[in-house]
Amino acid sequence: MKINILGTATTEFGELWKTSPRELARVAIQGALKDAGKRPKDIDALFVGNMLAGIFGNQANLGSLFCEELGVNVPASHVEAACASGGLALHNAINSLLAGRYNTVLVLGVEKMTDSSQDEVTAGLMAAGSDEERQAGVTFPGIYALMAQAYMSEYNVTEEELAAVSVKNHFHGSLNDKAQFRRIITVEDVMRSGKIADPLKLLDCSPISDGASAVVISTETSKNSKPVFITASEVATDTLSLHDRQSFTTLSSVVRASQAAYKKVGIKASGVDVAEIHDCFSIAEAIATEDLGFSKRGEGAKDIANGRMTIGKGKIITNPSGGLKACGHPVGATGIKQIVEITQHLRGEAGARQVRGAKIGLTHNVGGSGAIAVIHILQN
Amino acid sequence: MSGIIGYGTYVPKYRIKLSEIAQMWQKNPDEIISGLRVEEKAVSALDEDAVTIGIEAAKKAFAMAQITPNKIGCVYFGSESHPYAVNPSSSIVGEYLSLGNNYFAADLEFACKAATAGIQACSALLDSKRIDYGLVIGSDTAQGKPHDVLEYTAASAGCAYILGNKPSEIIAKILEMSSFTSDTPDFWRRDGARYPSHFGRFTGEPAYYTHVLSEGKKLLEKSKLKPADFSYCVFHMPNGKFPRVAGKKLGFTTEQLAPSLIVDKIGNPYSASSLLGLSAVLDISKPNQKIFFVSYGSGAGSDGFIFETTPNILEKQKKAVPFTKQIENKKYISYPSYLRHTHTF
Amino acid sequence: MITTPVKLWRRQKNVAGLIGVTGQILHWTIIRVPAKTFMNEAPYPVVIVELSNKQRMIGQLVDWEEADLKRGRKVIAVLRRSFTADSESIITYAIKFKSL
Repeated sequence: MKINILGTATTEFGELWKTSPRELARVAIQGALKDAGKRPKDIDALFVGNMLAGIFGNQANLGSLFCEELGVNVPASHVEAACASGGLALHNAINSLLAGRYNTVLVLGVEKMTDSSQDEVTAGLMAAGSDEERQAGVTFPGIYALMAQAYMSEYNVTEEELAAVSVKNHFHGSLNDKAQFRRIITVEDVMRSGKIADPLKLLDCSPISDGASAVVISTETSKNSKPVFITASEVATDTLSLHDRQSFTTLSSVVRASQAAYKKVGIKASGVDVAEIHDCFSIAEAIATEDLGFSKRGEGAKDIANGRMTIGKGKIITNPSGGLKACGHPVGATGIKQIVEITQHLRGEAGARQVRGAKIGLTHNVGGSGAIAVIHILQN
Repeated sequence: MSGIIGYGTYVPKYRIKLSEIAQMWQKNPDEIISGLRVEEKAVSALDEDAVTIGIEAAKKAFAMAQITPNKIGCVYFGSESHPYAVNPSSSIVGEYLSLGNNYFAADLEFACKAATAGIQACSALLDSKRIDYGLVIGSDTAQGKPHDVLEYTAASAGCAYILGNKPSEIIAKILEMSSFTSDTPDFWRRDGARYPSHFGRFTGEPAYYTHVLSEGKKLLEKSKLKPADFSYCVFHMPNGKFPRVAGKKLGFTTEQLAPSLIVDKIGNPYSASSLLGLSAVLDISKPNQKIFFVSYGSGAGSDGFIFETTPNILEKQKKAVPFTKQIENKKYISYPSYLRHTHTF
Repeated sequence: MITTPVKLWRRQKNVAGLIGVTGQILHWTIIRVPAKTFMNEAPYPVVIVELSNKQRMIGQLVDWEEADLKRGRKVIAVLRRSFTADSESIITYAIKFKSL
């Protein structure tokens, strides 16, 4: 059975003060249905990926809530895996198709973060970590900063080399009209920005964003001239706390999930043409580039700094959307936005960002500091 | 017979110089320093309180006493800065020191003599053999109102004593104890008020001196001893001047008093003050020496003790870092940092 | 809420057993933009420590200076006050680390 992508859509990402979570969802849902040539009543089930509605808005029961925005009451569920909520919702949706339970389903990733203050958001995001981490007063920038300290000392990587991740992603974001940030930045800009958790600075960190993305997947073939399929959907988990891991310079959940995905599809990492990577922080992308097999150990940041993953220059293009850093990171939506972006490239519809001749794409969605990793492979 | 079998002291790392405070209020630093005879005072870290400081001191006392925690039969915690108005410091400390559940416990308040009152109660329980060992803690993060004279001396520190009744373990016997108590409102803090209030010079002659000297004379009469019979004397130290005057008036020499004067280096940590002075003396005592001790708590009262060291003290001294060495680990902070340290929690 | 009286009480024995245990710093960072409950304490270092019993912990480093922020630096676990939601809530005591 093939998992067909019938339609995708995403709202712009950013500080969308005037837009409620319901409106965000409505725009994404209607856009995906239109792109798929489907109506609400064609949808057999709804899967919702979201992390913070319960924590910030005191709102649970999201399956039923967003059925109201779909416009029809169908079986619906809320899936949560911190920042991998979107990816995991898609994984569960795919499983429902594989089980023969449903034929056509809609997966929505949605997040509203700017209704809360910055310090509340910092605290809320720590729900993705462990109790010990929360008690220690560490934040997510802090957790990734600890990884950065380990990575930089083990592989002799400089802060400037890590900064290249943000520079690349801002360049890509400047080509994306849905991105939160469309301005180009330099390594000097990153180095000058204020420290959040040493050594990570403001411009090493993805922003607080609102947004929604949706995808319609089905057992039936897409009518699009260049149909796109999801050929692998793999999940792996690891310890909740960073300090309980064997190594601080790799996310073993990513290694395991991506290797399972490559095996399923019968390719090596080098076979991937374009990938959307979970760059919650610059260090995350550097490490992911290695965990996914695109770079040798210790060389992820350096490869990125040398343009090996940049549109127009590189071989495996990463984060053409601008990634989490420049496109924005409404946490529950990111995993689905990544699918939307890769689909555009495989259809040949990515405009200025198009990776030419893209045949195989990958999305990498991570929850917490690596407690869960969700990898999808898409092909045309 | 009961006495001390171990003790521990803890002074936070931070210090502020009195000159720094004086400059804030545009006062003459030399005048302040020479009037109070204190140069700097100890300031707690922003996440320390009387309980955390008490635990640090108690841990050291256990290291010296070498008894298992669950043998402790009573915990008395004296402070003017108990973290809770209701919720005992003594049981919080008891839990984090793994004392078990079988101990008498209470929090005490009597201004700067809260902990010495605890020693009296503990000693009585030991003498009656109701318990085998007791823990007494005096610990404070004293509140100094900005611009008030007490701001120069109100400091943070803690002192813990483990007492017992086995002669083979006692390093300093309690030969004599008594108190002189009255209702003298020299210094007080209303419930809910952040800073204490005081009545200036009234805290001197009718308060500190009346009680310390009356109790001191009573101790000498009761024991039929003379000042010359003592190797050391220890008094409560609200500043560097009062204990020096009290010692002299009772007939003690500057040499007998000098080792106890912790106030010169760390200021006045209220409930820990006189007990830290005693620790500094025990750090250097030889066996069979008599120590004269009178504390003072506003409100008011003085607790007097006559201690006599035993040969057991020499072994126990080796288990501890002397107070004078401990306080060398220090870091000076500015007045704004001092405000941050004392006003964050 | 990160801590309620019940959670604090349930953790007591575990916390008591950690006071005074020594270890060494594996990695450090300085939190400059904290979560809401830690607002007043920033900036503060957070360290991952490997204890003498090989257990790993994460915690704040207290009474710190720049020179303490080093891999391999010896530390001791101490009990310190932690965030408290407001002036009426229970006081949280937690394990933090201090350079030896």
